Amino acid sequence: MKRIVFIGWLLAFAVVAVAQDTDSLNFRPEQIKKGSEIFAQNCEPCHGPRMTDPQGAFDLRTFPINQHSRFVNSVTNGKNNMPPWGDLFEIADIEALWAYVVAGEKK
Amino acid sequence: MKLSKLAALVFLLFTCSAWAQSPDELKTDGQNTENVTTYGMGYSLQRYSPLKQINKSTVNRLVPVWSLSLNNDLGEQAQPLIYHGVMYVTNAKWTVAVDVATGRQIWRTPTDWDPATPRVVCCGVSNKGPAIYNGKLFRTTLDAFVVALEMDTGKEVWKQEFADWKEGYSSTAAPLIANGVLITGMSGAEYGVRGFLDGWDPDTGNKLWRRYTVPGPGELGFETWPAETDAYQHGGGSTWITGSYDPDLDLVYWGTGNAAPWNPSLRSGDSLYTAGVVAIQPKTGALAWHYQWTPNDMYDYDGVNENVLADVKIDSSMRKLLIHADRNGFLYVLDRINGKVIAAHAYEKVNWAERIDLASGRPLLTELSTRLVAGEEVEMWPGTRGGKNWVPMAFNPKTGLVYLSSLHRARVVKFVPPGEYKAGQRFVGAETKIPDVAPEEPWGYYMAVDPLTGETKWKIALSDFANWAGMMATEGGLVFTGKQTGEFIAIDEANGEILWQFQTGSGINSSPITYTFKGRQYVTVLSGLGGLSAVAGTPVRQFVPPGGSVWTFALMPE
Repeated sequence: MKRIVFIGWLLAFAVVAVAQDTDSLNFRPEQIKKGSEIFAQNCEPCHGPRMTDPQGAFDLRTFPINQHSRFVNSVTNGKNNMPPWGDLFEIADIEALWAYVVAGEKK
Repeated sequence: MKLSKLAALVFLLFTCSAWAQSPDELKTDGQNTENVTTYGMGYSLQRYSPLKQINKSTVNRLVPVWSLSLNNDLGEQAQPLIYHGVMYVTNAKWTVAVDVATGRQIWRTPTDWDPATPRVVCCGVSNKGPAIYNGKLFRTTLDAFVVALEMDTGKEVWKQEFADWKEGYSSTAAPLIANGVLITGMSGAEYGVRGFLDGWDPDTGNKLWRRYTVPGPGELGFETWPAETDAYQHGGGSTWITGSYDPDLDLVYWGTGNAAPWNPSLRSGDSLYTAGVVAIQPKTGALAWHYQWTPNDMYDYDGVNENVLADVKIDSSMRKLLIHADRNGFLYVLDRINGKVIAAHAYEKVNWAERIDLASGRPLLTELSTRLVAGEEVEMWPGTRGGKNWVPMAFNPKTGLVYLSSLHRARVVKFVPPGEYKAGQRFVGAETKIPDVAPEEPWGYYMAVDPLTGETKWKIALSDFANWAGMMATEGGLVFTGKQTGEFIAIDEANGEILWQFQTGSGINSSPITYTFKGRQYVTVLSGLGGLSAVAGTPVRQFVPPGGSVWTFALMPE
């Protein structure tokens, strides 16, 4: 019985957590479109057209959607073979990229 | 006291003469085998050596004599130089002097650049080698500087910026010294740059001239660009592979890169002088002639590949030839006096052109370009990386053959609007992907080809990965090159059979050299997965670790 209650609590917690994530992942279509344009110009050569052909660079389709700050950090400061983009992109540009990576190619 | 002064004077004189490396030593590179003073092992870029201690019978005794770490994970693409028992090596991070006898580092000078610079480097953070002259070593830097170092200490003598990397300019090319002028090339045609060559005074670093590879208003060739826009300012034509030099004609032959953007919607006409070769006078940068491999390039058929010079008898008269295997899949032979085409044969699968018409010198196009411009998605042969990329071929004057590594891959290309030009950002206007390939389809070939007839003497299919290392031919009947999986190999020039190999620990993406030291023949190659393979490239990254090193080989005594 105790065990069922515990699982119930866990489920409830998980539902809340997902609901919170979903709330923060509601992107405006124009933000996603802007992200797709920045992506096509700057990121596509390594990560592939529409993220579909990463050829050895990070496969952005698998980027954990609950790691927003990791994404911002990597784009701003660079990671492994990726150079830093922080002085080229505005914060809004990086957020648009995040919107595109999370939601831009979902069917 | 007097004696010590005399000793000092003698020492000074000796030191000066030791470092007073002369124009003649550049001109005769390849004849005095104790030195390798030029990129390409001679101004003709033949990458051929008359040495034959190491030959088909003795190569089984070839063993490493030393190896030295280069403290670099970004890839090794350089061809080292040798002068008076010292080897000079460059990569994107360092310039290194090594004692040939022991393999010990003599000095190592860092090359610093903004960590954001690779944003404008399309195809791998690297450097292809130094030039040396009159006691100084010259190299380019990733962020578009040219630097002179003292050969004996590695100390900087002068440093000049030739472009702003934030506008898309970078440099990886080895400089060239021709007729006393230092000439440097640049990269960036994926970022909307306007290509050029610069001539410098090697002593002072004063700039002597600039030759744009895309003409401006009022200049000859500008009629091939739209007069009403600034398309020429972003027209590409970068110069990222070192040219060859004919001291008798006093002409430098330098390949020019792809037109920009790839999507030709903002351009018009042939887009001179991109995707071709320019013959220039080294003292002034004046253009003597030009030839375009790919007029109105829209395929990323960068025309920078090496222009090998050879004097060959055709119909009983000696001809001054220029031999070039282009990314566009054709192997060209030009008359290097006037730039006229003598022969042009496909050496790889080609579907963008039927053939090169020798009378007009122009390709006869298939329907592919029409379909591309109409916005169709097309499968293009060769792909954007070309039938052969930058890794240089070798020419053996005794066999008359070129030895090259081909790439056998298509690319699926679809044009999209290039958008507005933004400084330092990609300006291409095309989406590309690598099509699915049948597993039995080779990645490329080692091949020996007669450039005049186009006849393939032999070719060896590469089934695991393509080859991304330069070739070097020797009088010993051998052709040396290296695999992306790390094996340094010696091939039989007669049939392509691999006679010898040694695993160097990372992928090989550089060009080997051979030379003598105290009468003994050595072979040196840099190991270190680099270039496209280090950034995006191929699945080889899953199997081969990065890590740069120099490897030097000689025959084990019998």
